[in-house]
Amino acid sequence: MLKMDLAKTLGILPRSIWVFLCNSGSCNGCDIEIVATLTPRYDIERFGMKLVGSPRHADALLVTGPVTKYMTERLKHIYDQMPDPKVVIVVGNCGCSGDVFYKSYNLDGPVDQVLPVDVYVHGCPPRPEAIIEGVAKAVLKLEALRESLNSKEADVADVAQS
Amino acid sequence: MSRRAEYTDKAMASEAVVSVIRERLGDAVEVVELRDRKAGLSDAVCFHDLWLRCPKDKLLEVLDILFELDFPFFHVMSGNDEGEAVLLNYHFSLFQGSGRASRLGVAVSVYLPKDDLTMPSIQDRIPGAEYSEREMREMLGINFMGMPDESLVFLPEDWDERIKPWRRDEAGPKPEQIRELS
Amino acid sequence: MAVGEAKTYKIPIGPVHVGLKEPITTWLEVDGERIVDIKVRPGAIHRGIEFMARERNPIQVIYLAERICGICSFAHIESFVRAVEDAASISVPKRAQYIRTIMLELERVHSHILWAGVACYTFGYDSAFNLGLLLREKVMDVLEAISGNRVNYGVGTIGGVRRDITPEAATALEDMLDYYRREFAAFYEVATEDPITKARMRHVGTLPPEDAVRYCAVGPTARASGLRVDLRWSSPYEAYADIEVTPIVPQDYMGEVYGDVFDRFLVRVLEVYQSLDIIEKALLGLPEGPLMAEPKLPKLLALLKAADGVGWSSIEAPRGDDTHVIRLTKGDENVTWWKVRAPTYANIVSWPIMFRGQEIADAPLIVNSIDPCISCMERALVVDKKSGSSEVLTKEELLKRSREKTRRLMGR
Repeated sequence: MLKMDLAKTLGILPRSIWVFLCNSGSCNGCDIEIVATLTPRYDIERFGMKLVGSPRHADALLVTGPVTKYMTERLKHIYDQMPDPKVVIVVGNCGCSGDVFYKSYNLDGPVDQVLPVDVYVHGCPPRPEAIIEGVAKAVLKLEALRESLNSKEADVADVAQS
Repeated sequence: MSRRAEYTDKAMASEAVVSVIRERLGDAVEVVELRDRKAGLSDAVCFHDLWLRCPKDKLLEVLDILFELDFPFFHVMSGNDEGEAVLLNYHFSLFQGSGRASRLGVAVSVYLPKDDLTMPSIQDRIPGAEYSEREMREMLGINFMGMPDESLVFLPEDWDERIKPWRRDEAGPKPEQIRELS
Repeated sequence: MAVGEAKTYKIPIGPVHVGLKEPITTWLEVDGERIVDIKVRPGAIHRGIEFMARERNPIQVIYLAERICGICSFAHIESFVRAVEDAASISVPKRAQYIRTIMLELERVHSHILWAGVACYTFGYDSAFNLGLLLREKVMDVLEAISGNRVNYGVGTIGGVRRDITPEAATALEDMLDYYRREFAAFYEVATEDPITKARMRHVGTLPPEDAVRYCAVGPTARASGLRVDLRWSSPYEAYADIEVTPIVPQDYMGEVYGDVFDRFLVRVLEVYQSLDIIEKALLGLPEGPLMAEPKLPKLLALLKAADGVGWSSIEAPRGDDTHVIRLTKGDENVTWWKVRAPTYANIVSWPIMFRGQEIADAPLIVNSIDPCISCMERALVVDKKSGSSEVLTKEELLKRSREKTRRLMGR
């Protein structure tokens, strides 16, 4: 159970993370709050987090929206294009559990039915502070993933040498 | 026959519009209701909505009359599967450029029998109706004769076109297609 | 057109976007740098909302309507509850009408400031973008003070409003009005005096007035083409029955009108000032009285269950005319059918006209100028039909072209 306090959150954020935002059918409320985190009031850009234009440059995938049938394959394609190690952060209630969108003929969601999700940020829409905390948790997870990848490579190298 | 594309600045009173329609089309068109819409501190009548009902072969004549008064602004088409027939409502506005509180909303209801779900397309006179006609085609199965683009507008490309989401009979979506999500 | 063989390329743009809005796919047919035609394919955000409403009662549908769009959420609630009130013949108390008007205008201020910031970002004015998004935080604070949330306020209900404007909220509102009248002048200058923005936006994405009428353009897009249409003026609702609103058209301020991106920018900036005036008048004239026609929820639901009729409501949302039509049947608790036409869909039909003959570098500007509640531009795949070779232009490339054009115009 990750318990975060403010000092620890601020201690983590200096490790910069590049995110790619994919809207899989949301109303834009969460997307606007994500953009608001980049703007002067919350200003996560000073910690190095930035929105990139291509999934190939990204460490984290931010997904909003209950996945519409139109977007299912495209979402998977974007996930596949991202290099390892990567994390998936779902922002907003509709991606987490569907929110008000149930009993529809055009939805494949929630997001964890389509992609493996690492962090869920709840809210409709979540406040920018909540999104920042979600990203901080994702950074911790990413660091852990990187460590385990590095140690696997080290093991393989050892075996190759001996 | 089509009026030049601009909004008139001379509004007519709603009752006068009703008289014109009754004079020209008589019993062919039913004036269902002329509704008052009130607002404000004094509960004043601010504008009217006119609800008409006509058989499907009279729609273009009603449209001709509307064109004589002003270029009809097209809002949307709404509709429903009523069981025996399919209801299609056209929503227009007249006189929205004429002055304060001058707009008249005109809604024309048409009932289409299920064995003849066709209507003439109005896109040649009001190109702004494109999305509504495509939407009614994919959702309710109404064919608009003469519409230039028949492709799906909101449903995904791999959707089975025989399934019309808003229909409540065998053409509608099956229960297995409706997901609870969580 | 080049001499010899005319090659046109088809560039798909979309469906995913960085930044703000929803995905949509468009196909641009280009000849060199000039756009020949555009085909639009919406549907990426089709969730089947009208279908979902069949299993819910009107109160539950309010929360569904709110989430059609995150930026104009209150406008959708307003249009929906007005349609239900029309179908069920419920009249709204006067104080609630004024509070609804204030919320609508606050949302309009928010939407236009957000749009102005994004428009500046698309052609390279990053400082204006950051300024715009910072300015917008003030109106969100006020909205949070009144409703409790920054987006998706949930304030409207059938027959009235759920939250009141307390004296503290009224003070916050008045502070906000002062703040904006001082600070928003920076955008006003960008709109009216800066020669670079004028060069970048003038004669780009023009929509002539006859086409605006025939394609049923709505909102600031229609007003920028010179048409005097505004539903708050031509069919007043809520407090607009007592507060006069005149449609803002560029010819009244600049003397001439072209219907291009510059005119749309100007109309939106001026509308922010107009909204600030309307909020002030509504606040001054706020009458006392109850907030809801029927405060007890079970009684309201019983009233709606017994109601029978069809209701239609069209209001002026920040992007234009938002129409909702709803049918209630006696004895049925759930909504029978519901139709929503958001304003962006009325404006998208005119995109092909705005795009023809324009440069690719201007495409992001034109797309953004109608203030779409859907957005495009993530990747563009340029395919040479004859040779079959393809090249991928990312969203960064397209935006880069747009911003480089600004620098070329500045002489660097």
